[in-house]
Amino acid sequence: MATGPVCLASCGPVVLPWMLTQPQGFKRHGKRLAIFLAGRFAGYLLFAIVAWSIGLAIPSSLAARPWVYGTVELALAAAMLVYAAGWPHPRCRLVDPEETLVQIGPKVRRPRSGALPLGFLTGINLCPPFLIAAVRAAQFHNLGSSLLFFASFFAATSIWFTPLLTLSWVRRSQSLVTVARMASLLLVGWYALSGIRVLLERISYG
Amino acid sequence: MRKRILKILAYTGATLTLLIAFSTPFYLMGAFSGAVAHAGLHIDAAYSGGPIARSYQRDGYQIVVHQPVLTHALQQASPFVQFEFKPASTLPAMVDEEIDLDGDGRNDVHVTFAMDRRAGAKLSGNVVALNDNYETIMGVGDDSFSRMLVVVNNAVIVRVPFHAAIAEK
Amino acid sequence: MVSSPKVRAPAYRSFGRSALLTLPIALWSLLMFTPTFRSSSRNLTIGAVAAILFMTGLFFMMMRTGTTYRWRRIFFVALGFLFPIGFITTLIAERGTMSIPIERMVSGDTPFCFMVTPALILPAAFARTVVFPGSILPSATNPHSIAIMIGLWFALTLVMGKAWCSYACFFGGIEEGFAGIAKRAKIRKLDPRLRLVPWAILLFVVVVSAAIYEPVYCMWLCPFKTVTEFPAVRSVQSALQFVVFVVLFAGLVVVLPFLTKKRTQCGFFCPFGAFQSIFNKINLFEIRINRDKCVDCTLCQTACPTVALSTESIREGKTLLNCMKCGACVDACKKDAAVWHLKGTEVGVKPERARLLFLYGTWGLATMFGGSILANSLATALHLMHWN
Repeated sequence: MATGPVCLASCGPVVLPWMLTQPQGFKRHGKRLAIFLAGRFAGYLLFAIVAWSIGLAIPSSLAARPWVYGTVELALAAAMLVYAAGWPHPRCRLVDPEETLVQIGPKVRRPRSGALPLGFLTGINLCPPFLIAAVRAAQFHNLGSSLLFFASFFAATSIWFTPLLTLSWVRRSQSLVTVARMASLLLVGWYALSGIRVLLERISYG
Repeated sequence: MRKRILKILAYTGATLTLLIAFSTPFYLMGAFSGAVAHAGLHIDAAYSGGPIARSYQRDGYQIVVHQPVLTHALQQASPFVQFEFKPASTLPAMVDEEIDLDGDGRNDVHVTFAMDRRAGAKLSGNVVALNDNYETIMGVGDDSFSRMLVVVNNAVIVRVPFHAAIAEK
Repeated sequence: MVSSPKVRAPAYRSFGRSALLTLPIALWSLLMFTPTFRSSSRNLTIGAVAAILFMTGLFFMMMRTGTTYRWRRIFFVALGFLFPIGFITTLIAERGTMSIPIERMVSGDTPFCFMVTPALILPAAFARTVVFPGSILPSATNPHSIAIMIGLWFALTLVMGKAWCSYACFFGGIEEGFAGIAKRAKIRKLDPRLRLVPWAILLFVVVVSAAIYEPVYCMWLCPFKTVTEFPAVRSVQSALQFVVFVVLFAGLVVVLPFLTKKRTQCGFFCPFGAFQSIFNKINLFEIRINRDKCVDCTLCQTACPTVALSTESIREGKTLLNCMKCGACVDACKKDAAVWHLKGTEVGVKPERARLLFLYGTWGLATMFGGSILANSLATALHLMHWN
C-alpha cells in the first residue's frame, strides 16, 4: 500500500489521458477501469510466475532487465498511440462520446477502448516497487505463495486508482478529448524515447 | 432587481480587485509569500541533499553526513548519500579520508581529492566503496545529482550512490 | 493579423481629461520607484525616471486615444527585449556563463521562474515536496525564492487573470516583437485546434513531473532557456536539451511569429498560459462581442494574436478561455462591437468604464513589476555602455 502512490505516479501518465478519451458516465468509466486493472492483474500474475521461476537466477536476470524494460516502454508507446491517441487504426478511433457533437473519424460498430492491452503493459512495466516485489516473490518456496503475494500487492496498489473514477463525471467535450489525445501523443514520444534510451544504453555498455 | 444586484456585486468586485492591486506591494505579496513559506514545503532532497544525520570533527574542519536520499522510483537521480567537508577554506591540500556514513562504527567509503582553492575551480576525486552498500566512483566531479564532488558555499559536497537494498532498512 | 490592427478612428479624449485619468498611475509610479531614487546608483535613477515616464506616457496615450493594444504592445515588447539583457548581463557578471552549474542547483540558488508552477502542484500537494532546485525562503544569493515569486504571481493573477500573458510575462514580448515585423502574414491559415496544444502540454507536464519528480518543462521544453539560463552542457543528454531549447525558441518565438503574425509560443505551446487561462474563469474582466452591433466581419478574429476568437464564440458574443485581454480585437473592431466588459453588468453598456477599471489595476501592477524590470535592465544597459 505504501508503494501505491508510486504505482499511480508510474501508471498515471498512461491512464489519465487515456481515461479522458473514454466516454463519460460512471458505469462505462468504471467498466473500462475494471478491465484496465484486470489487464494489469494479468501482467502482475505473469510476472509472479516468471519471478518465482527464475528464483535464484535473479542476479543474471538483472542483465536482462533493461531489455525487458525498454521493450515494454516501446510497446506501451505503441499501445498508447493506437488506443489513447486513436491513430492509425480506424477501429480504435473514438466514436463521438456525445451524440450532439460531430463524429470523430469514421463510424465503427464496436470501437475498442484498449483497456486490456494498456492494463497488461502497465502490469509488466518494470517500475522499481514492482522489482522489489519481484525479488520478494522469487524467494517464496512455492508458486502459490508467489501468486498470492503479487495478488495482494496488486490489490493494495490498485486502491490508489479508485480516485480516477472521478474523471467519469468530467464532461467530455470535443476539445477535452482532443487535448487528451494530444497529451497521449506527447506521452507516446516520452515512452518511446525512454525505451530507446534504455535499449541503446544496454547495447552500448553491454 | 436581479440585474441591479448583479451590477452592485460586479462593481464591488471590481473595487476589491483594485484594492488587491494597490495593496500587493505593501501587504498582499508578503502575505501570500508568508503563506507559502509556512506551508511546510521542502525542496526535494535530490536537490537539497537531505537532512543532516551526524558529523565528525577533524583537525580544522568537519565532515557532515546527511541522511540517505531515497530518490523517488522514477527519478533520474539514483539514491545517494551526501556528505560535506566544511569549511573548504581550511581543508588540507590533499584530502584523504575514510568515513562512516551509516553510523554503524565501520567506515563505508574512502574519499580522496586534491583541494583547489582558485575561484571557480572544478574538483575531481575518487570515492571508493568499502562495502557493497555503496558505489565506487572514480574521477567524480560535477557528474550528476547522485554523484558529485563540488565546492558549494565554502564546503566541498560529495554525493555517492548507494544500493537500494539498504534503502529498505 | 495585420502589422498593427487597423485602428478605427480613435475616440479622442481631451488632453486635460486624459491627464486627469492618468494622474493616479503617475502617482503610483512615483510611489513604486521612490526607493530607487534613494539608491546611490545614477544609472538606476535614470532607469527609474525613464520607466516612470514610459509607463505613465503609455497610459496617457491609452486614455487619449481610447485604444489599448498598440500602447500595451510597446511596453510588452520593450519588456521582452530588455529583460534578457539585464538577466544575462547579471549572470555573466556573477559567474561568467549563462549555464547553471550543478553547484548552483544544489545550493538552492536557482532563481524561480513562474512557468514551472503547474508542474510543482501535485508533488507539493501530496508530498509537500517542491521539485525545483531553488529555495523556499529568500537569501542574499537568491532573492527570487519560491515563496516570494509564488506570492507575487498569485497576487498578480488575482487581479489580471490571463491578462498576465499580456502585461506581466517577461517572455511574451519577444515573440510579440517578431510578430509585429512583417506587414502581412505569410501563413494565414492556422488550424484552430492548435490553441488546444498548450492544454495537452500542461496535462503532459503535470502528470510526468509528478511521476518522475522533476520539472519536465524546465528540463526539456522551455524555449526561453535560450535567453536566460540553462543546465550546463556536460553530457549527451544536456547537449540534446540545449538543442531542443534553441530549436523551440527559433521556431516558436522568432520564425513562426514572423510568418504568422501570431504569438505562436504563447497561444500554441505555453502550458503556463493554459494554466493561467483557468483564472479567467474567476477574473471579473473580459472582452465580449455585442451581438447587436456585430456584423460578423471577423476583423477581431484576424486581429487576435492567439486565436481566442472562433466563429462559434463570436456568434455567442464571447472570447474563448485563452483570451489574454490584450485589446487587439477591441481596437480592430470598426463597429464597436468588441468591447471591454465587467462580468455582471450589461454587455456594451459603459465599456470604457470596464476598461478603465481593468487598466488601473493591471497597469498599476505592470508598472510595479514590469516597470521595475525595465528600470533595472535599462540601468544595466547604461552600465554596459559605460554611461556612468
